[in-house]
Amino acid sequence: MKNILHLIKKDYIIFWHDKPAFSLTFIVPVFLIYLFGSIFSGPGNSPSGIQIAFINNSDSKIAKKLESVLDTTKTFQLIRSYTDDKGKKAAFDTNTIKDYIRKGNASAALVIPRDAFTDTSMGLKLKFYYDPKNEMEMQLIEGLLTKSIMSQMPGLFMTSMQRRSEIMLGSGKGKSFNKKIAGVVSQYFNVDTAKINKWMSSSNPDSMFNDTTSKKANFFIDLLRIDKEQLVGKEINNPGATRSVGGWAIMFLLFSLSGASTSLLDENKSRVILRILSAPVSREQILFGKYLYNFSLGCIQLLVMFFAGYVLFHIDIFSNFFNLLLIIIAASLASTAFGMFLAAVSRTQSQASGLGTLLILTMSAIGGAWFPTFILPPFIQILSKFSIVYWSMEGFMDVLWRGSGTLDILPYIGILVGMAAIVNIFSIIRFKKGNLFL
Amino acid sequence: MISIKNVTKKFSKVTALDNISIEINEKEFFGLLGPNGAGKSTLINLLVGYFDADSGELLISGKKVGKNNYEVRKKIGLVPQSIALYDDISAQENLEIIGSFYNIRKNLLRAIIAENLNRVELYERRKDKVKGFSGGMKRRLNIAAGLLHDPAVLLCDEPTVGVDPQSRNAIFDYLEKLNSEGKTIIYTTHYMEEAERLCSRIAIIDHGKIITSGSLDKLIQLLPYKQTIQINKNHVTETKKELFNKFGAIIDGQEMYELTPFDNIKFSEFFKAMEDNGIAYNYIDIQKPTLEALFLHLTGRRLRD
Repeated sequence: MKNILHLIKKDYIIFWHDKPAFSLTFIVPVFLIYLFGSIFSGPGNSPSGIQIAFINNSDSKIAKKLESVLDTTKTFQLIRSYTDDKGKKAAFDTNTIKDYIRKGNASAALVIPRDAFTDTSMGLKLKFYYDPKNEMEMQLIEGLLTKSIMSQMPGLFMTSMQRRSEIMLGSGKGKSFNKKIAGVVSQYFNVDTAKINKWMSSSNPDSMFNDTTSKKANFFIDLLRIDKEQLVGKEINNPGATRSVGGWAIMFLLFSLSGASTSLLDENKSRVILRILSAPVSREQILFGKYLYNFSLGCIQLLVMFFAGYVLFHIDIFSNFFNLLLIIIAASLASTAFGMFLAAVSRTQSQASGLGTLLILTMSAIGGAWFPTFILPPFIQILSKFSIVYWSMEGFMDVLWRGSGTLDILPYIGILVGMAAIVNIFSIIRFKKGNLFL
Repeated sequence: MISIKNVTKKFSKVTALDNISIEINEKEFFGLLGPNGAGKSTLINLLVGYFDADSGELLISGKKVGKNNYEVRKKIGLVPQSIALYDDISAQENLEIIGSFYNIRKNLLRAIIAENLNRVELYERRKDKVKGFSGGMKRRLNIAAGLLHDPAVLLCDEPTVGVDPQSRNAIFDYLEKLNSEGKTIIYTTHYMEEAERLCSRIAIIDHGKIITSGSLDKLIQLLPYKQTIQINKNHVTETKKELFNKFGAIIDGQEMYELTPFDNIKFSEFFKAMEDNGIAYNYIDIQKPTLEALFLHLTGRRLRD
């Protein structure tokens, strides 16, 4: 028994000193539990601040009430203006709001048309423009929008219902039915009949529910009609695969490049580096050679992955190939820098592997490779902007989904190359001060 | 050929080399003998320009050695202490990679590789992955990798660590042949048998300082006695170490025990005790003292302490 205890103690001592194993056992899972918990922990933690472009063209009170409800709910943030080519703020009109969505500035736009409530063929009419580059996000926005309208505006529902019933059944029948219902409610619940009668009007719910053959069956459907129009991605062959290929590609790129870069540590441990340095080769050449190798490997890996997407899922990679190539190059540069950073801050390959796994899983989670970033807690959404995964995915989506041109993707390229430059400078300083070449 | 002048190298607070000076002649087989941590590998690393000395100067053929002096490195071949090879590729591919750093034409490099692999008896295994090689084969390939550019100087940093006696002898033969062909060899080891067998001149290094240097004969003369008792190591003698201790100071060598008898010991008593304990006469020999005895005499410690 004593020996068993000694053996257990021995394993704990070794485990305690094995930082990668320690981080993978405790730190990574705790962080991911927190992250997933924050996302999926129920209605109390539903997404907030989802940006929706918005126009209200209606003068009706009900439209103003709807605007006010959407304005006050935390779920949405309404954007009413955009910055034009001259750098000036301008209010949206129907054309500019569509452009705003097409350019990827927001995923959805809600327009309350001038005749939203005056068109008597329906209850309330809304126009919804969207870019389903992220299907989950779009479904959630639609659901939350309907929920917000329905839960926050019961009055709208009732008003709309009264008007619809009058149109469809005739005002006489509706009034008679309401009177009877008001009497029954008053008798059993001891409330004022006049007040109930005032609340209700002339509809006949029984006929509305049972008649499925006539136009009356549209009664509920037309209480709230949201006309949807997809603005982007209609021509995409395989939307699902197109959405996911970039995220998975960049995650595996980070894994492979971190492994390739940290092989420097193994080469140093086996003293191959010493052998190479005993030849007329400089340290800078070794580092630069490793960087270029990893960069080229990264480009090839991404090209192979996108080509696999083309062959297996018919993802259209060729119609905007040049710009796809630019993003591939920028993403590879940034991912290579990340790998070199791991090599610079780690002492052993196993340490680098542990740290790499932690950072890659974290960046993939917060960067949008696994689920859309909008459902993350706000401060993590800010953090996600510091990850290579986020900007690479944005770039890939812009090129593949939106067919963006070189000028449009320049910001992504700039950010990725900038990230690479900053990380590289840090790594070089670390390599100079560190013990890789000792 | 190689001139090391007043070289000091420190790592943080540890002084790895403390103002050492050595002159090594062309075509010499020079041994650097010392225990682990004495500073041998640091000196080798300085000679390949892996890092710079804090003070002093290292010259090879009159040219200064340093971190940024790449030309002088072409004169040096390195056999590192570790097997500095890629395990997952073949012997041939390893040598092609290493040879490529010296700008040797492809065809010429292939011919050189074939010749070197033949000399270390690995040509038939050239296409096999290194990870499938025995320890001795890896060591031989490690040496071949240091010779591709035909360097004038070969730096061997404990090149036989972990090698069986048979492979070790093969490596010794090969190095002796290289030396006889004109290569200057610097050989570090903590095995005195290796230094005694191979080196025409030896420097003994400890705690970063050169304690003494010279030919084997000259060094042994530094001892106050001229002979020692050597007892072969085997399953019988290995159980009798305490018995030997009664007659003198014991040095536990690689293949034998070396006994420096106490002054008042009678040899007749020693041999009787051996006979009584079943140690045959043919296990015992009277020899010149070894470098191990010299190291013990000079430092009060054994080489492997």
